[in-house]
Amino acid sequence: MTEVLLLGRRAVREIARYPEATIPALFIPLFFLVVNIGQVSKTFPSSTPFLKGEGYAAFQLPVSLMFAVATATTGLAIVTEIDVGYFDKLLVTPVRRSSIIFGRLTADLVRGIGGSTLVLLVGLAFGVSIRSGVGGAIVIVLLAALFGVAYAGFGVLVALRTRNVQATQSSFLLFFPLLFLTPNFVPFERLSPVMETLARINPVSYVIVGLRSLVIDGWKLGELGVCVAVIVGLGVILTGLSLRVIATYDR
Amino acid sequence: MTGDPGEKQTETDDGAPAISARQLRRTFKGEIEAVRDIDLTIARGKVFGFLGPNGAGKTTTVRMLCTLLPPTAGSATVAGLDVVRDAAEVRKRIGVALQEIGLDPVQTGRELLQLQCGLYGITGQRGRERTEELLELVGLTDAADRRTKTYSGGMKRRLDLATALVHQPEVLFLDEPTTGLDPASRMRIWDEVRRINAGGATIFLTTQYLEEADQLCDRLAIIDGGLIVAEGTPEALKAEMGHDVVSVSLDGADHAGTEAALRGLAGLERIVAEPDALALYIDNGAVAIAEIVRRLDAEGIRVGAISVARPSLDDVFLRATGRRLEGTGQDPDETEEDQG
Repeated sequence: MTEVLLLGRRAVREIARYPEATIPALFIPLFFLVVNIGQVSKTFPSSTPFLKGEGYAAFQLPVSLMFAVATATTGLAIVTEIDVGYFDKLLVTPVRRSSIIFGRLTADLVRGIGGSTLVLLVGLAFGVSIRSGVGGAIVIVLLAALFGVAYAGFGVLVALRTRNVQATQSSFLLFFPLLFLTPNFVPFERLSPVMETLARINPVSYVIVGLRSLVIDGWKLGELGVCVAVIVGLGVILTGLSLRVIATYDR
Repeated sequence: MTGDPGEKQTETDDGAPAISARQLRRTFKGEIEAVRDIDLTIARGKVFGFLGPNGAGKTTTVRMLCTLLPPTAGSATVAGLDVVRDAAEVRKRIGVALQEIGLDPVQTGRELLQLQCGLYGITGQRGRERTEELLELVGLTDAADRRTKTYSGGMKRRLDLATALVHQPEVLFLDEPTTGLDPASRMRIWDEVRRINAGGATIFLTTQYLEEADQLCDRLAIIDGGLIVAEGTPEALKAEMGHDVVSVSLDGADHAGTEAALRGLAGLERIVAEPDALALYIDNGAVAIAEIVRRLDAEGIRVGAISVARPSLDDVFLRATGRRLEGTGQDPDETEEDQG
């Protein structure tokens, strides 16, 4: 555990020293939030049934949160360490290989909490009110950050398998279909049949729905439970695969 | 060539050797044999040199001994522990400074050393004290709070060396620790190596610099094409040559004609052709020079300088591999397929 904390502290320090790696990643979700609200809020006024009296910003907020936390930053950090030789230096110390990954994911948690808090505050500035209250807002931030941690496993996996910066950077592109084949603009029922089918098999949909329920509905334990299960499942699978790859790295 | 057999006997007298390899082999994709069935026995407390050109198999051997790369066949122990079966325990006992300097560019020198201490379980006040000791040791106290990306090549190498020393390892692997350094930085690293060795650590040093091997190593092996082609103390290896080396600079004269004229000289062991020169391995070089000049004169062959020298490690390398090591240039970083 100590080694995870030590490696985590190092990774968090890196965020503070390289704000240029984090700030642009936050610009995109905020841009999407502002543009989407600006373009669609008249089409979907608060009287729209699925908004349940909230503005469209409340409906869009979870999508921007997803955008803010899903990055390939950790994968890029690992592939850079492989490139400069520091990864080998870590492998030759007595630390468990899993600690190298968990240390990095610690930074994702911190980055995710910071990023989702900022997006949430911007949402509040746009008049979003959180039906589940302050407790719900905290849960939204934590779940979004944990989703970021779970998704980071994918970048780590690509980094360890390819050991290539470009490939790792490109891995982020996968998130676009994952984010947009969801009920991101309208609920499931208002999607075309094909899009609805795709959205219903896309696990990211259920994270958005879960977070959205905390914003628009309050505490809906069914949707929240599915959201948590998807995040945990995604984390277990992607982190598990990353741990397996690092355990057999150069073996 | 095996060097002096008596020396080898003493290596195992003081218990398990620091490093032992038996039929160690590593094959990469495409059936590339980077290391081919090498045997090594290195006594505790010695500085062992592993000499060879780029791509010879040096780095692959180091990576296997450091547990970074599993052998395809054969076995090896470090500090008495099997590098595959007891890899985790081996890592606690070794320090490693790989050819590629492994530093986190975002951290300061002090932060990096403190982290490294922590990874070896040296935390709190003890970790801070050890960090300061090491910064002092490698002369980086003044630069300790600068990020490592601002360090010069020599400073980075010294910090890398310090990170390998935090836990006072029994065996220290230094993979080409002075490659790319200026002479002053190289001397400083040499001093560090001597000091670390004086403290009792065994040092496995790979190098492509003959002078470095000659200056630092109690014993060395020459590796070429994945095979160990010579092994012994530097003195024994040179003594085994048993000859002087007379170099005849051809200065444009015909290789074959000059070689033909010199064949059959008294005490001549062999002639090795080099670019625009011939190296004659001969019993008494000083005496032979007069005869060489007479023969060339009689054949009307005009050559450049003729010099005589005692055999160097370069000559040992030449005899073992058929080519000289120094002046082979420095290749770009080795890839997995040709790392050596």
